[in-house]
Amino acid sequence: MPIPTHATLFAYQVGFGDCFLLRIGYDDGSSRHVLFDFGTTSLPEWAAKDHMAQVAKDIAARCGGTLDMLVATHRHADHISGFATSGNPAKPGSGDIIAELNPKLVVQPWTEAPAAPVDWLGPQGLTRAQGFARHVNALLSMQATAGNALEFLKRAGKRVPAMVADQIAFIGEDNLSNASAINNLQAMGKRRRAEFVFHGCKLDVTEELPGVTIDILGPPTLRQSDSIRTQTSVNKDEFWMLAAKRMGDAAGLGKTKSLFPNAKSRPGNRMLVEYRWLQRRLDAAHAELTLNLVRALDDQMNNTSVIMVMRFAGKTLLFPGDAQWENWQYALQSPLAALLDDVDLYKVGHHGSRNATPKSMWKQLAKKGPASKPGRLTSVISTKQGKHGSESKHTEVPRRTLMTEISKQSDLHTTENLASSALCEEIRI
Amino acid sequence: MQELPPTRKLTIVAKDPGLRLGGDDGPMAFVQVDLPAERLSWGPTGYRIKVVDYNATEQRLYFAEQVYEDRRGNLIDPFAPARGETLFDKAYQQRLLEDPNFHSQNAYAIAMRTLGLFERALGRRVAWSSGGHQLHIAPHAFAQANAFYSEPDRALLFGYFHDLSDEPVFTCLSHDIVAHETTHALLDGLRSRFTEPSGPDQAAFHEGFADVIALLSIFSLEPVVAAAIGQDGQLIKDDQTIALVDGAKLSPGAIKASILLGLAQEAGTALGDGRRTALRQSVEMTPKKAKALRDGRDEHDRGEVFVAAMMTVFVQLWSNRVALLGTFGKDQYNLGSVVEEGAKVAGHLLNMSIRALDYCPPTDIDFGQYLAALLTADRELVPDDAHHYRRDLVNVFRDYGITVPAGTCDADGCWPRYPHLGKLVYSRSNFAAMMRSRDEFFRFLWENRDDDRLNISERAYTEVLSIASASRIGPDGIALDETVCQYVQRFDMFGAEFKALLGAERPGGLSTTDGYTAYGGGVVILDQYGQVKYHIANRLLDPARQLARAEYLVDMGLIGVADEPDRLRFAMAHFVRMGA
Repeated sequence: MPIPTHATLFAYQVGFGDCFLLRIGYDDGSSRHVLFDFGTTSLPEWAAKDHMAQVAKDIAARCGGTLDMLVATHRHADHISGFATSGNPAKPGSGDIIAELNPKLVVQPWTEAPAAPVDWLGPQGLTRAQGFARHVNALLSMQATAGNALEFLKRAGKRVPAMVADQIAFIGEDNLSNASAINNLQAMGKRRRAEFVFHGCKLDVTEELPGVTIDILGPPTLRQSDSIRTQTSVNKDEFWMLAAKRMGDAAGLGKTKSLFPNAKSRPGNRMLVEYRWLQRRLDAAHAELTLNLVRALDDQMNNTSVIMVMRFAGKTLLFPGDAQWENWQYALQSPLAALLDDVDLYKVGHHGSRNATPKSMWKQLAKKGPASKPGRLTSVISTKQGKHGSESKHTEVPRRTLMTEISKQSDLHTTENLASSALCEEIRI
Repeated sequence: MQELPPTRKLTIVAKDPGLRLGGDDGPMAFVQVDLPAERLSWGPTGYRIKVVDYNATEQRLYFAEQVYEDRRGNLIDPFAPARGETLFDKAYQQRLLEDPNFHSQNAYAIAMRTLGLFERALGRRVAWSSGGHQLHIAPHAFAQANAFYSEPDRALLFGYFHDLSDEPVFTCLSHDIVAHETTHALLDGLRSRFTEPSGPDQAAFHEGFADVIALLSIFSLEPVVAAAIGQDGQLIKDDQTIALVDGAKLSPGAIKASILLGLAQEAGTALGDGRRTALRQSVEMTPKKAKALRDGRDEHDRGEVFVAAMMTVFVQLWSNRVALLGTFGKDQYNLGSVVEEGAKVAGHLLNMSIRALDYCPPTDIDFGQYLAALLTADRELVPDDAHHYRRDLVNVFRDYGITVPAGTCDADGCWPRYPHLGKLVYSRSNFAAMMRSRDEFFRFLWENRDDDRLNISERAYTEVLSIASASRIGPDGIALDETVCQYVQRFDMFGAEFKALLGAERPGGLSTTDGYTAYGGGVVILDQYGQVKYHIANRLLDPARQLARAEYLVDMGLIGVADEPDRLRFAMAHFVRMGA
């Protein structure tokens, strides 16, 4: 059996999105390839129309026509939109090109499984199948909520302040269901091997990646996350099913009858003078609330991310997708957290947002330190400024203070520094 | 000329539409409550509240069609039962629930009642923080499961939503929610700095305090409480029917398990709103769990610890007083008297809790300081602790991990009286003018800024926030007059100056070039002679407190965040508790 000896990470320029190709080199001169995510919600301004197809072709060339493993960390557009197919054989989409690489193993979080995965633990008090079905419904509801939010924007027009509208649109679109990409991922998985993973599950890759050990730190199963939830009375699944319905209400969808059909009323554009001061403010408050709901939805979806630790040739690589605090929380209090001590390469979570690199997690990466430190940590980030959050509220992505800290304490590579002609950066491990 | 009546009655939903009298099929609990009399305009719009029934989701204004006085100028309740109807007729109740104007009246009346609680406790008018006279209420603001106080909009915004069976649920019909949100607005008027980022306790204080006021104020709605306790028998004597209740229901444990939980459950589970669990949490929280939560950083958990401690004190005192009542037959009590005792205890705790605000420093409150303020406020008014209110407060709060600040309080746990009376210079300021003018009061502070007098930093920028006179009637019938003056001080500085100005090492995470504002401040309480009675302050030069605050701000990522009022500040607090 060949033994892995070295590796290279290709960090692709996809604007606001993630796409990383890992090449593992073996002592017999052969190499294997793993693709982590392939998506974008905002390409660089200079990018050509077929930028994603170019990236796909580059991946195909570098991996020599075969992917050994493909990891789709979670179903946000900025992580999977590249897997969408064109439906037109004459003009293949980026997803068609990837499909031809015929990945030997497709890894996704348990939340993407068609049925409850083996060894997966449902919530307390429900059967496995029931718990799983409820969660699947909640995911669908979340995406319906995103759709409703966009519908709301369309109807509300100028009543929504432009800054709020831009953010609702950006986050809303990231959360919309991307049927083509999801179908393609499913089809690729079915063809060879598909694994739907959760915290602590076994993932044996002896066939696909000999000599590589993989541990899954997240996402936790429903029972696992229940065990750390302080407010047990709150059921997040139910919340999302209600939220979708409420967002539908808020967008005025499917509601032809008014709240008080028998009450005398008049439309907002013929408002009495004594109420106008508050009217304008109420409209703005309504829009801000909608944005907050969409943001919460975005966070929730990020928390379905696969957190994967790979070990080979004496190196430890950490790929956490966009996992945020709630996902990390479970991992950090488990025995697997000890793996973080040895991390050599960290793919910065959620394009550098504050919540995706929790302090307690960052603290545990023992190899970070000043530039003089031998064997210092390497960090890689794919991001684009000015798309997500706001600087005044300290929610901007990438977060300035976090980037300062990471660049001080590790050898940081960011796709923002790539020259406009370059498709990707090569990082030797 | 005829004397005008000081109060008027208006109909409201007691608790919320989920509470049914005598079982699930029973009528809803509607009550008429007493409110200060005033001539209302359309809305209703009064001198403190302006109801605006604009729905941002439907983009529609519902007309206010009710008149609140008859042709002769008598104040009327437009939603009182018509002739031949009672408050418990289902058709009448349904008619009201379908009328948006009734929702407006309900929100107006509960907000005014809550305002009345504060004004009675403090013996003065309480202003909104905006400086405006009327607080807006939007009873159907938007189709979202949220209700909140928005400082910049000068408004309480109540959302509505549809439950899974597509029935509308209105937050403006819930007594708890309206009282809770009104309390946020009132607290913001009294202590405007409590909304600023400071420490985990200050963030939690707004929520916890609003819960305590909302929960305790339910106990004055006696029919609701009687329904929650339930009747176990009756006694007919001299044409009078006396409802009886089993004594077994009235131990502290039983009151918690049955009555409080009963109220929590019946509070419209359809709301699906995490905030509704405040009562439930307070019942289920054990002292052991409370201590663990207080060690954490979660502000809502910490707020719930405070609510649990207060509700435990309430239950204990109520149970103690019930034990003193006469029994009927085999350990049964007069239900009416039991409810009345509950209302008395709740009323007293409400008064104490609100009065305590006058004895709180204006910045960086924590629950230990609030406890000291609570004890001081009560001792001022009731020097003899005959009913053991203060003893029980100290003991229960200790069980829940809350104790008065070490080293700064006297043996009773109260703030000490101001010790340096002889040193203060009064001659350069005029007491009568000090009551009216912030400048005059500041002159007094400035003259006495030395370390051995009021010890107010002269390098910091200092501002008198408010001067209020408080007049309360003690149990002996004699008025207690005090003047309460709040001032704040601030240093606008860089991280590099942390040690030099505040005396503590600069915390990691605050860089030398980060802008930072440190606050300090206090209340000066003058007695009826204009002499300083208390000076309760969180000074600027307080290294341990300043370091703790800075570390909290670093941890929360709040260094350098603009401190402009945030519309959704309270909305988000609630949203988080819904599990999002």
